[in-house]
Parts: sequence; C-alpha cells; structure tokens
Amino acid sequence: MEALSLREDNGDKTAVVGQNTLQLIAFSIGEQTYGVEITTVREIRAWNGATPLPNTRDFVRGVINLRGTIVPIFDLRARFGDGQTSPTKNHVVVVMSVGDKWVGILVDAVSDILTVSREDIHNVPEGNAIDTELLNGIITHDSRMVGLIDLHAVVNGAKLDG
Amino acid sequence: MSDLDDFKATYFDECSELMNELEEQFAAIEGGERDADRLNAVFRAIHSIKGGAGAFGFSGLVGFAHAYETLLDYVRDGRVEMTDDVVNLCIRANDIVADHINAAQSGEELDADYGQEEKQRFDAIARGQRGGDEDEWSGEIIEEFDIEFTPVRVELAVADDEVAEPIEAPVAAVEPDTFDAPPMPVEPGHWEVRFTPYRQLYSRANDPLLLFRELAVLGEINVRAILTDIPPLSDFEPFGVYCSWEISLFAPDLTEAAIREVFEFVDGDCSIEVVPLGHVVPPAAAPVPAPVAVVQVEKADENLMALTEDEVASAPVRLVAEAPAAPAAAEPVAEEPALSFADLANEISASAPPRPVPVAAPKPAAAPKPAASGEGGEEGGNRSSGVQSIRVDLDKVDRVVNMVSELVITQSMLTQQMDENLRARYTELVRGLEVLAQTTRGLQDSVMAIRAQPVKSVFSRMPRLVRELATKTGKKIKLETIGENTEIDKTVIEQLSDPLTHMIRNSADHGIEDPEKRKARGKSEIGTIRLSAEQAGGNILIIVEDDGNGINRERVLQLARDKGLVAPDITPTDEQIDQLIFAPGFSTADAVSDISGRGVGMDVVLSNIKKIGGSVHVRSWTGKGSRMTLRLPLTLAVLDVMLVKVGESPYVVPLSSIVETMQCSGAIFERVPSGGQVLQVRGEYVQVIDVAQRFGMHSTKAPDDRFVVLCESEGSQKVALVVDDIIGQQQVVIKSLEENFEQVEGIAGGTILGDGNVALIVDVQGLRVHQIHQNAA
Repeated sequence: MEALSLREDNGDKTAVVGQNTLQLIAFSIGEQTYGVEITTVREIRAWNGATPLPNTRDFVRGVINLRGTIVPIFDLRARFGDGQTSPTKNHVVVVMSVGDKWVGILVDAVSDILTVSREDIHNVPEGNAIDTELLNGIITHDSRMVGLIDLHAVVNGAKLDG
Repeated sequence: MSDLDDFKATYFDECSELMNELEEQFAAIEGGERDADRLNAVFRAIHSIKGGAGAFGFSGLVGFAHAYETLLDYVRDGRVEMTDDVVNLCIRANDIVADHINAAQSGEELDADYGQEEKQRFDAIARGQRGGDEDEWSGEIIEEFDIEFTPVRVELAVADDEVAEPIEAPVAAVEPDTFDAPPMPVEPGHWEVRFTPYRQLYSRANDPLLLFRELAVLGEINVRAILTDIPPLSDFEPFGVYCSWEISLFAPDLTEAAIREVFEFVDGDCSIEVVPLGHVVPPAAAPVPAPVAVVQVEKADENLMALTEDEVASAPVRLVAEAPAAPAAAEPVAEEPALSFADLANEISASAPPRPVPVAAPKPAAAPKPAASGEGGEEGGNRSSGVQSIRVDLDKVDRVVNMVSELVITQSMLTQQMDENLRARYTELVRGLEVLAQTTRGLQDSVMAIRAQPVKSVFSRMPRLVRELATKTGKKIKLETIGENTEIDKTVIEQLSDPLTHMIRNSADHGIEDPEKRKARGKSEIGTIRLSAEQAGGNILIIVEDDGNGINRERVLQLARDKGLVAPDITPTDEQIDQLIFAPGFSTADAVSDISGRGVGMDVVLSNIKKIGGSVHVRSWTGKGSRMTLRLPLTLAVLDVMLVKVGESPYVVPLSSIVETMQCSGAIFERVPSGGQVLQVRGEYVQVIDVAQRFGMHSTKAPDDRFVVLCESEGSQKVALVVDDIIGQQQVVIKSLEENFEQVEGIAGGTILGDGNVALIVDVQGLRVHQIHQNAA
C-alpha cells in the first residue's frame, strides 16, 4: 500500500471502483506487461507516425496532432533503454494525462483492463535505479508480473541536455 | 445575487480602465500638461470609482476616494495650486485607490487606517484653503459618507412612495401645487433650480439625494418633489425616474456656475434649469399656447429636455385638446418625435376609454413620453459622438478568433489541393474558392481588429515605473513615449508588460549613469529612456532606447566566460556579446540591486517574447546608449510561413523573417577557420546553418539540390539556413509545444498542416544564439 506512491494528481482519480481497488490498462512491450491507471488514459489510437522533435532524447518519438493540440509521444521501449521501437500500423499510442499535460506513449499492444486490489501491489525490488524510478509498484496477474508505470518519471528528462 | 456579481465584475472592469486612464492623465500632468481637461478627466475617473464603490458598499474605498475627490475639486477650481507635491500626492493616492479596488475585488480587508496619512494630507491641503474657522469641515464630510452611501435602497423606497402617491392623488390636485410659484423674495442669492432627470438617471448610478446633499453644502435649501409624472403602478418601471424636483436655494454669494457644478455628473441624464429668483419663470407664470409647445418638441429633442417638468406635463394635455391641429402644426418639420408625439396624442384622444377623472386620462399615457424622447435624445447624442461600443467577454472573442484561424487554415488547405488538372476541369469551383479565400481574409482581418488594442495600455504603466526607478537609484530619468496608439493583438499586449518592465529596469539600472557621471561626460544630467512602438510590415516594433552608457562588452564577455556561456578560445563579435545579456542567468550588475540584477531579467524578456513568436535584438554604442528592439507579430493567431523540408520532416519558417531563397547550386559558400561555412550574397558574408545537421537529421539530398533560406532575424545580421526542400507558402496557426511538452531549442512552436501532420516552427534567432553556446561547449 505504501509502496504505491502515485502522485497526488493522478492518485486521486481512482475512486471509481472503490477505495481499495484500482483499474489498470495493461499493455505490452515485447514479452513484458505494464499497466497504467485507467483514469489517466484519455485515448488509445493506432500509430500513425509523428513529427520528430530535434534536440531531444531518443525516447521522444516526436509530436502528433490530437484534434488541434500538439501532443508529444514517448517511446516506452526506448525509455527503458531497449532501443527505439520500429513502429508499424499495429503499434499503439496510449494518450494519457500527466499532471496538466497530455502525453502519448508508444507501446506494442494494449492487452487488457485489469481490476486489482491495492493490497496486491508489491514494492519494486531495490537494486536497479531505473526500475525504481520508472515503476511505482508491481502486481501479479495470471501469474505474470505487471509493472505499474510512473508516468511523471517517464516524461521527465526528455531534453537532450537534461 | 448573480446579477449583483455581474454588476460587480463590470464595475471592476471599469475600475481597471479608469485606473489606466488615471495613469495616463497623470503621466501627462506630470509632464507639465496641467490643463483643465486633464484635471476633469481625473476628477471624473475618481468620481466614477467612488460612485460604484458606494453602490457596492466598499466604504473604505468610498471614504478615501471622496477625500481625494475633494482635493481634486479644489485643485480644479483653483483654490489649491497644482504643485509637484500635490501631483506626487495624487499619484500616491492613485496607488491607494488601486489597492482599495484590489482589496474589494478579492474580498480582503485593508487596514482601517490604510491611506489615512494621505487622506489627512488631502484634508490638510483642502483645509488650508478653507481657512481655520472651518477646521472640522472636511472631517465632517468624511464622516457623513457612510451615511451618504449606504442608503442605495433609499431611492427605491422613495420610488415606492411615489408609486402609491399618484393613484390616490388626482393629478388635478397635484398640478396646482407645482404651478404654485413659491414666494419670490427679490434679493440676490436666491436661486430656483429645476431638476428634471431623464428616465435613465438611476442606471447611471446617480442618486438625486446625493445631489441635494451637495447643494445643501452650498446654502439653505428647500426641495420639492414633483410627482405629476408618475404613471399608474401597472406602467411603472421600477428603475425609471418619474420624479422631478424644484429646489430653492439660498446663499449670499452663490453663483450659477457653482450650482451647475453640482449637477456636473448628471449632465446629459437630466435637464437643469437654474434661475435666479426674481426673474420670472415663464412657463409657470404664463401658460404657453399649445402649438408653440409642439414646435418646440419638433425642433430638437433638447428643447423637450429643456422644458421644465410643468411644461412637459402640461403640453400633452393641451395637445389632446387640440388634437386635430397638432398634425398640421407638425408637418412643416417632419421629424420623428413630433409625429409620434402628435400621433400618440391623436390615438389617445380617439381610443382612450373615458376615465373617471378626465384630466387624468391622457396623463399616464403622456407621462412616459418625455422620458422616452429623453432617451431618444440621449441615443442621438451617442450617435453624434461617433463611438458606440459593447462589452464582450474576451473568451467569446477568442473563440471566434480560433475558429476563424482554423477556417483560414482549412481554406488554404483546400486551395492547395487544387492542382492544375482540377483547376482546368472545375472553373466554377476555382472561382468559388477564390471568393472564399478573399472572404476569409477579410473575416480574419476584422476579427483581429476586434481584439486589437493600442499599446497605450501597457505604455501607460511605464511612467510610474520610471519614476520609482529614478527615486530608488537616485538618477534623473525622463521617459518619452512615441506611437502609443499603435494597435496590437490583445494577447500580445498582455505578454508585453513583463518584458517591457524588465527592459526599462535594465535601461534605468545599467544604462543610465548617475547625474554626476553624466555631467562629467558632457551629457545632460537627465537621462532619457525612449519607448516607442511602430508597425513595420506584418510586425510591430517596440523599441526601448536609452542615452546611457551602453553595454559594457568587456564585462559581459568576462562574465559569460566565467559562467561558461562562451568558450575561452572563441571571440564573439560585438553583436554576439550584446546578445549575451539575454542568456539565462546572466547579469552584469556589479552589485545585485533590488531593481534588476538578480540575473533573471533579460532571459525572461527573451523567453516571453519568443513565446509569442517575436524576437529581441539589442544594439549598443559604448558611452552613448543602447537600443533594444522587440519585433512582435501583429497577431498571434495566424502566421504566414514558408513550408520547408528538413530530412523527411516538415518545418516552417516565419515569412516575416525571410529575405530571399535560392538554390544551393547557385550559391557561393566559403569556409571559415572554425570549420563553419559562410555564404556570400552580393558582397555580404552570412553565417550558414545546416538545419538538418543542427537537428541531428540525415539529409538524403545531394548538396546542390538543397536550398538556402536567407533569413534576417532582428537587427542587421542575416543568417542562411540550408534546408532540403522548399514546399511553399501558407498560413498556419501557432500551437504551443510547451502546453504538453516543454520548450525545445531551435524550435519556436508547432503548427498543424492541412494533412493533419505537425510541422515545427524554426526559431531562427534561437538557432543563432544556440550556435554560440554550442561552440562554447
């Protein structure tokens, strides 16, 4: 419970399912499944290219036009340090709100909507700073691990010179 | 209740306009223009603020404004001289009024004694003129206020009484009363005032009671209300004025001017007749034959307004009696009011059912007439003064602007879709598109004109800033403003205030020297900062110039090197050094002063200006001064751009910064020792930036097939951007990258193309500045 250090601004949107449960959108990157809280998700759309942004890190795939506003797209695989995704029409962009900003993350596929109890969220094992930085917690679903993405951490540090 | 909130919001809107007006007027007054017009404007502004404040019960504001107003009044009639001291006190008083307004707006309570010191000084100055014997006078007035302004409802109560009155009181019984001329003691100092408000008096937040109180200050007063015009309850509008008043006034050395002055603020909302007693008042004494009355009405609405209550009241009655004659009399001058008046009278006499009291019958129908034509006259007055305006929520305007912007984009997209083939086949469609293009352009221009405002609203805040700065630094500084009527989009103006403040601070703090130093250099002791605005093509130039010391380039360079902004082995040009003052965290002040010098100033200027698609340039002449130029787009909504390709991505370059384009095959490139390239254009050498390289992209095109876009950022320095392809010109809507992301170096923003893709806007100036930093790294 304590391990879920979701920030104030997205943590408080969970009341839909009740105090103690949490709904997640699960998506996959390679073999691994990750999840974000469903209330932060605004839209899921197929990858349709993005305009690259210069002078940014490799995980910033560029910007897209979302009904008149410009939304940056982050490549989650690249953010995890696994190199850039080579997106196809089958790849998916999950548009979410982080604080007062809207961002899209590029993932391989959206797999499921999960309802989990807050008590089932485990701490991220200490060890690698990247894991603890990018994940808020871990849950088990169908005996597989689902990592809870910390959106703020994903978005941060996008500029080339930090 | 929400109605009241609406009124309040309007009041605060007006207050901020009035405060701006005050600033403006005082800037001029301080500059020596102490004429009556300016004083009157100040007086009116303060009076309006006070009036509204009274209506909403902001007693602190009312009290202060009143004391201030009293002083102004004395200044106006020459009893107090407009010395510099008084001007300064007034300027300080404006601040206090502004604080009061802010407090009232945010619902805070100011200290009870806030502004008390100034208030006492007003009183002292005012009292100085009144003589010692009336020491308690001003205090008394101020005390009176709380009473004076709370009873807003009193008018309603009075009106209620009035409603009840005429129903019972037959008109005949009332009329003799009004005709009954008061006894006429023929001695000087007796005045008879007929005060006939038009219907809209209350809606202008005027209250006759206040006027009477003010009259009472002048001398002995006896007020009679004339209730003959009050309609039956069914026709009664609660917010209309149906009463008029006769006031006899006695004071030994009273002048007509003094009496009229009391009514100054209801001027146009009522008719005032001031007659010294002893002079016969014609209408009351000798009844005017009806046709004459009709002619008076025809001639001009004003005549009608000038009629005393009695005349107006009696005229319709007679008209009814001579109804057949009236239209004939009206014919020669075929004016609306006369005709309708006569027609109405006709109608009444023909169709009005007989009433129990015959004299009363035409009365209620006729009663609204004077007020109605009063309103008509008022409208006419507005028309002749030329400007009619409405207040519209800015949000609504913005929505229209946004939609028009999208429309413009869609239109330009449609036009682009028309290739030669289609053009040949669908000539009608092409013609339609051309008309559409024209209309959208027109629509866009008109919409933008709605949002355009003179820069005056920002400029007018600057004199005070300069004054404060001069006091703080002990320097003597004079501010000149030029072109303050130049109009810019409101959204741009809003973004202008901070940068201008910083620039002027910078000039005052770092530019202008101490008086002694200036003297030693053979300059006038008073430093000048010149603030000017002008339109140049699709841009607005805002220039801040000073005749101070100029930028100390050695220091700037030294500091930049210390801070690692410039590499030790690089020698920037003078211009590049000047531009360094806009680098983040840069400050040249020897000591961090509380004015500028926290090192946050000038980069704020740059980032604010960039945010609205503008650029900043500085030029400096050692020992002679410096000049900072802001180049701003006329509008934020739509930008004319050139669409280019870098790598595979679309980019746009603002058309306003492009000088020319050429093919690389025809351009002459030369190498410079740093490894960079320069372009020779007509004997001039220009720095070359390969955009693909800078943005870390791969150009697949052969060097000769690429294009050069020659740009001129602010100032004379040009820069040549090398791009892969030039696609064409178009109009785009600027979209912020920061809204969902953050600022990206070399990119001024984004935009959405006709095909729905995002194109990035090249920040030409940013690319150049970045170049210096990159060389440093």
